[in-house]
Amino acid sequence: MINAIDVTNLNYSYPDGTKALDGIDIKIEEGEKTVIVGPNGAGKTTLFLHLNGTLKSQGKNVSIFGRNISEMAIEERIREIGIIFQDPDDQLFMPTVYDDIAFGPLNMGLENKEVDEKVKKALSIVGLEGFEDKVPHHLSYGQKKKVAMASVLSMEPKILVIDEPTANLDPRSRKELIKLINKLNKNQGITIIMATHDVNALPQLSDRVYVLNHKIIAQGSPREIFSDSTVLKENNLEAPDVFKLFKVLGFFGYDYDTLPLSIDEAIEELTKTIETNNGHIHLHIHEHTHQNIRDFINNNDHHH
Amino acid sequence: MEYPEIDKYSSLESPIHNFDPRTKIITFTLLIFSSVFVEDIRFAALALIAAFILLIISKLPFKFIFNHVKWVSLFILPFLIIMPFTVDGDVLVNISYITVTHEGITYGFLITVRAFTAILLVFTMLGTMRFDTTIKALHMLKIPNPLVQMLMFTYRYIFVFLDEFQRMWTAMTSKGFKPGLNISSISKIGKSVGMLVVKSYERAQRVYQAMLSKGYTGNPNTIVKFNIKTRDYLITFLIISFAVVLHISPVVLLQ
Ligand SMILES: Nc1ncnc2c1ncn2[C@@H]1O[C@H](COP(=O)(O)OP(=O)(O)OP(=O)(O)O)[C@@H](O)[C@H]1O
Ligand SMILES: [Mg+2]
Repeated sequence: MINAIDVTNLNYSYPDGTKALDGIDIKIEEGEKTVIVGPNGAGKTTLFLHLNGTLKSQGKNVSIFGRNISEMAIEERIREIGIIFQDPDDQLFMPTVYDDIAFGPLNMGLENKEVDEKVKKALSIVGLEGFEDKVPHHLSYGQKKKVAMASVLSMEPKILVIDEPTANLDPRSRKELIKLINKLNKNQGITIIMATHDVNALPQLSDRVYVLNHKIIAQGSPREIFSDSTVLKENNLEAPDVFKLFKVLGFFGYDYDTLPLSIDEAIEELTKTIETNNGHIHLHIHEHTHQNIRDFINNNDHHH
Repeated sequence: MEYPEIDKYSSLESPIHNFDPRTKIITFTLLIFSSVFVEDIRFAALALIAAFILLIISKLPFKFIFNHVKWVSLFILPFLIIMPFTVDGDVLVNISYITVTHEGITYGFLITVRAFTAILLVFTMLGTMRFDTTIKALHMLKIPNPLVQMLMFTYRYIFVFLDEFQRMWTAMTSKGFKPGLNISSISKIGKSVGMLVVKSYERAQRVYQAMLSKGYTGNPNTIVKFNIKTRDYLITFLIISFAVVLHISPVVLLQ
């Protein structure tokens, strides 16, 4: 089977000598949701810029659907893979929202009428119908972020690369964005790869997680990654709050099957436990509780 | 923050607002050139009155225009003061080495009137359409592409730049920085301006990457939907006739 993204032994240093990427291997199947986590400056953005050939390394290390990225024409490339950047002000460079969203489709050589339709459709996907004539500097940050997304969705790429989708968003916009990303993945089969520091959103957004710190440190399901406390600690990461809470509940005698990663999973877990225990949850303090909790807190506090 | 927006009142309704952007740019430019080259002070005054009438028709608030014009006048008014003393001609007043000439006064007034006419017309033109429309109209008028794209990006990023400056200024003052005219203060401002330049350079790189990611190849990428109506031809005809009359009548009437 052909992978949607195939990165083999990718190395990259910036012109000033900063080694950003060191022997990266990543394989992503079509329709998968992959999250890249790692501390600030780990090379996530640098990796993403390689995925559509904006940055180039010496070798032929990046393939999209089995084809080498450096051998693809620009119009082909933007049909296959779209990148939504970290800062929407970088991505919205045209005078109006319409112009920004029409930019990609026009580069694909579409007719004006088709371009119009693509713009309309992209705006309705992100829920900003009627924003065509707005100028970017009159938009809120969250709206800019959505327009930036629409400006890539209008090219209808098969793979969507998103750098920090939830950063700086208010809770509601964050929730909407998570929902939107999942919808695109589920309904349209778009392969999604994103970078995020938002560990609480991560479980809902990923089938597979890569920990990147210039090299690939670890990979696995969200549960596997969050259960590995050494990897977390060494890469400035933390498990989701719900995950940690249930770990603490465990010290109070709560007997879990699996540690839930999200609120939804927590509800499921609690319901199951209560039903199997005749309608009760039993918690208590035993002789090791305090010591366990102290160890747990110290282990999670990176300063100690 | 408060942006200095020239197109703040572009959504009002007036015949000037409804005037097709391309024909508006052409006719106003013609009228501006025509008024700037008028030699006779009386016809220059006539052009100024016409500019005022156009401004009134456009319904742009006077306060808005005044706010912009007052800064520009700082550059014009010196002419009114200097000209009477420097142009040769019939001497009106003579105090020791300083002479004021009749020609000087007329010429000073002529320059001032011409300049104000031009400014009023420019603001009426730019103030009655959105700036992105102006840029697109220029694109359609076959203004060279690099120039149009430069205008486009300047227009987009001037606001981002202003925000960045504002943020930096807030950061500086909240750390106790007091702007002043001493060496240390000026050197700090110098350094922060340097930082802004570096930041802009880095942003430019990221924007370029984003453009490449959307398939940019250097070609213009906008769709413009203008259509010229009969009314536009009429207004164009009226304004251009006036521009021509400004130059023909002095020759005919003042023989
Ligand atoms: N244009 C550049 N020139 C030189 N070095 C750079 C440049 N861009 C990034 N770097 C460096 O490359 C390394 C990786 O940066 P990158 O932006 O890819 O990290 P990141 O994982 O996206 O970080 P963050 O989580 O903060 O967004 C960092 O050490 C950074 O300082
Ligand atoms: Mg980054």
